[in-house]
Amino acid sequence: MTFLAPAAAALALTLPVIVALYFLRIRRPTRIVPALHLWPDQIRDRQANVPWQRLRFSWLLLLQLLVAAVLVGAAVQPVLPAGAGLAPHSIVLLDASASMQAKDVQPSRLEEAKREIGAMIDQLGPQDRMTLIAMQSKPRIVASASGDHDAMRRALDDVTASNGPADMTAALSLAAGIARAGEQSRAYLYSDGIIEPLRTAFANGLPFPIEYHRIGVSGENVGLTSLVVRTGAQTRAAYLRVHNFGQQSRTFTVEWRSDAGLIDVRPLSLTGGQAQDLVLPVPDSASTVTARIDARDNFSLDDAVTAIARTPSAFRVLLVTPGNVFLEQALRLRTDFQVDVVTPAAYRGAAAYAMTVFDRFSPATLPNAPFVLVDPPAGSQLAGAAAVGIGRVRASDAGDPLLTNVSLQDVHVARSQDLNTSRFGRALITSVQTPLVLVRDQPFRQVLVGFDIHDSDFPLRIGFPILIQNLSEWMLPPSVPSRSFHPDESVTVVPETGATVVSVVRPDGSRRELTAGSIATFADTDLVGIYTVEQTVAGKVDRAWFAVNLFSEAASQLAPVDRLTLPPARAFPASQSAHRGFLQVWPWIALVALLLVVAEWLAFHRGL
Amino acid sequence: MAAPLLEPQLLRRLEALALMVRRAVKGQTGGERRSVSRGRSPEFADFRNYTPGDDYRLIDWNAYARLDRYMLRLFVAEEELPLSLFVDLSGSMDWGRPNKAETARRLAGAIAYVALASLDRLRLTVFAEGPTSGGAPYRGRHSAPQLFQRIQSFPAGGTTDYSRLVSPIARQRPGMTVLITDGLGESPVEPAITSLRLARQEGAVLQLLAPQEIAPDWTGDARLKDAETGAEREFTATPATQASYRTALARRTGEIERAARRRGLRFVRLSSDQPVEGMVERTLRKVGLLG
Repeated sequence: MTFLAPAAAALALTLPVIVALYFLRIRRPTRIVPALHLWPDQIRDRQANVPWQRLRFSWLLLLQLLVAAVLVGAAVQPVLPAGAGLAPHSIVLLDASASMQAKDVQPSRLEEAKREIGAMIDQLGPQDRMTLIAMQSKPRIVASASGDHDAMRRALDDVTASNGPADMTAALSLAAGIARAGEQSRAYLYSDGIIEPLRTAFANGLPFPIEYHRIGVSGENVGLTSLVVRTGAQTRAAYLRVHNFGQQSRTFTVEWRSDAGLIDVRPLSLTGGQAQDLVLPVPDSASTVTARIDARDNFSLDDAVTAIARTPSAFRVLLVTPGNVFLEQALRLRTDFQVDVVTPAAYRGAAAYAMTVFDRFSPATLPNAPFVLVDPPAGSQLAGAAAVGIGRVRASDAGDPLLTNVSLQDVHVARSQDLNTSRFGRALITSVQTPLVLVRDQPFRQVLVGFDIHDSDFPLRIGFPILIQNLSEWMLPPSVPSRSFHPDESVTVVPETGATVVSVVRPDGSRRELTAGSIATFADTDLVGIYTVEQTVAGKVDRAWFAVNLFSEAASQLAPVDRLTLPPARAFPASQSAHRGFLQVWPWIALVALLLVVAEWLAFHRGL
Repeated sequence: MAAPLLEPQLLRRLEALALMVRRAVKGQTGGERRSVSRGRSPEFADFRNYTPGDDYRLIDWNAYARLDRYMLRLFVAEEELPLSLFVDLSGSMDWGRPNKAETARRLAGAIAYVALASLDRLRLTVFAEGPTSGGAPYRGRHSAPQLFQRIQSFPAGGTTDYSRLVSPIARQRPGMTVLITDGLGESPVEPAITSLRLARQEGAVLQLLAPQEIAPDWTGDARLKDAETGAEREFTATPATQASYRTALARRTGEIERAARRRGLRFVRLSSDQPVEGMVERTLRKVGLLG
C-alpha cells in the first residue's frame, strides 16, 4: 500500500486532543431546576469534575477516537496497486466520431469508452499526467498534461460524439507534438477502430507506444448509404440505397417523405450483408426528399437521409466559334447550361451570358466576366508568340483539383502558341516547350488555351469533356451546391450578385451569418439534415438548400475492428517502463467514517 | 402601583360560579349552602312531633287535620361553606415561564373570590417549609381586596415540607380544602393528603407545573441547581436523560393523583401557561370543583 499524502498523518494529533477533552473540566452554564431529585440518578459526568482525573471508559470516546483515526486514514490517501500499466504521461485518444454513437454497448460506445477512461483517471498517481484528445474530423485537445482528477473528469464528461469521421492521422500528429522529448509517454486509443485510413506512415515512428482498446461488440446495423434525386426529360426520381451491414436478416419499413408530405411507405426485408437500391418517383412540387427506416438497430444516424430535389438554375453560355463540335458537345453535356453558338461575325457582345467561350477569335474588348479563350488570333489581346511544335503534354501540378479525373497520358498537341512570356496566370497544362493552358482567378476566373483544339488528339480522349466540366464548374460555381455533403465537410457558398444578407439556417434552427460580399466557406455542418441558405437580394429573400448526410459505408459498417495497424513507436530505453496504476481506497474509508459518525450519533441519543 | 391580582372582567365572570360540594356541610353562620342542620329555607326536609317551646308557626295544620297531632315542618337550613386554601409558595414554585407562584396566586385568588361571592367562609394558608396563615377567615365579596393583597404579599422561596401541613389541616372544621402545589418537593405529599381525609375535608389537589418542566427544551452540558435546596450537580443532557426525567416526573404526578383519588379528592394537573380564566371556567368545572 502506498500513501499519496503521508503528511496528512499529522492529523493523528487530533486523537490525543480528543482524549484530553475528556480529561478536562468543561465550563457548564448553570440551570435552575425545580426538582433536582427528579433528574436521573445516573447522570454521566463523562468529563471529569477535576482536571486530569482518571479517564473513564465511554463508548462515545471510543467511537470518536475511531472516527478520527479513520478520517486520518482517509486523509493520507492510501492507494493499492491496480489496473493496467501507466506511463508518467498518458495520452488518451478518444474516438468521438459518428460510429461511437452506436448503442451495441449501453448506453453507447462513447459512454463506454468514457467509463473506461474514467477508471484510468482514478488510477493516476500524484506524479502522473494525462492528455485527453477527442478524435473527430478535427481532433482537439480536451485536457492537456493534467494531473487534476476532477478537471480531467469534467473535460471527459464534456466530450460528445460528432457526426463526422475520426481523423487518426491528425490526432496522432497532435499527440506526437504534445509528447515532450525525453518524457515517458504512452498513448491509449479508445475506439471502435472505424477511423479514416492513415494518410502518412509516420516512418520515423511515434514518440510513444500506442495501446488500442476496442470499444463495441456488434456490427448489426441497417443503414441508408445513398440518396440522390435525378431529373430526367420527363420525370424526377429518387434513388435510395439500403444496406444491411449486419449478419442477421431484418425486416423494416422504408418511409418516403417530401416537404409536401408523405410519399410512400413500404416494407423491406434484407438478409445479412445484402444491399438494395430503391427508386421512387418524386412529385414536381417537392423541394426535398427524406427517406427513413425503422430498423431499430444500434445506430440511428444512418436511418434517415435527405436529398435536395430542386433543379439548380441554368446558366447561359455563349460559344463564339467558326465551328468546333468538340467544344460545343462538351459544353452541352452540362444539363444546367443553356448554350448559344454564334460565329465571330455575328458576335455582338457577351453581356447577357454568364460565361463566354471564344474559339480562334478574340473580340476587341474581352468581357469583364468568366471566359475561355482558345487559340486567340495572332496580334490579338492575350495572344502568345509564334507557334511552336509540341508533342506530349503533362499537368503542371498533378494534384490540381481542376485536373481531377483528367488523364493526360495519351494526349498530344501538334503545335501551340508560345505562352512562355504570357502573364495571363498560372499554368494548368504544360509541355516541354511552352505552357499550353493557363488559368487565373482575378479579375474573374478565366482560361487561356494556347492551341487549336483541332491540332490535338485531346478532344478524342475522355479527359477532354471532363476538363471542360471541371473548368466550367470552377468558373461558374453554383451559388449553393444542392448536393449532399458529409458531416463536418465545408460548403462553398457564392453569394448572388447584389445579395446584402447571407445566412445559413441549420437543421436545429440555429442561424449563421455569412459575409455577403465574397465567396464564403461554411463549415458548421456537424448536424445531419437540411441546411437552408437565405440570401436577401433587393429586399427579396431567396432560399436554397443543401443536405448533410452520413453516407459513409465505413461508419455504417459498425463492426468494431479487433486489431488496428498502428504506427510503430521509436525505440525506448528499458527505463521507460510503465508503472501500475493506483486504486484509491480513501472513498471507502470515508464511508466507514460516515458510518461510525452515525453510530456515534445513535450512541449519544441512546445515552451510552 | 402593582397590577391587580385579578382583572375586574374576570371577577364579574367568577361571580357566576360557585364551589360544588358533594355532601352538605355544617357552617357557623347562614349562607347559601344546604346545612346538615334544619333551619329556615324554602326547601322541605322532614316532620317531627311538636314539643312545647317550638315555634308554633312551623306547625303543619294540614297534618294536624289528618292525624290529629301537632306536627312541625322542618326545612333545610342554608349555611356557609368553610373553604380552606393551601397555596404552595416554595422555591420550586418560583420558577417557569409563566412563573408558577404567580399563577398559583391568581388561581387561589380566583377560587377564593368564587367562595366569597357565595358568602362562604375562606381561610388562606400559604406554605413552604411551614404553613403561614393568611389571616382571619374572610367572608363576603367586600373582603376580596384585602385577601388579594394578602396573597400578593407572600414571597416565594424555601423548601417544601408537606408534613408540616398535617397539623393545620387536622384542625379544620369539616368543609372543603383546595391544595395548590407543584408536588415537586423532596418530602412526600401523601401525609398532607391523608390528613385531609381524616379531617373530613372534601376538596381537590391542583398540581401546577410549568411547561418547561413538563417538557424540558434544552440539551447539552449544564450545572443543575435545585431551586429549593440550592444543591448543584454537573450534568449532560441527552435525549435519553430527558426521557428519564419525564418518566420520573410522570411517576411523581401519578403518585400524587392516586393518593388524592384514593382519599376521595379531586386531582387536576394544570400548566402555568394556561390562562386562569380557562382553569376555573373549564378545567375546574369539568372536574366538578366549580359549577
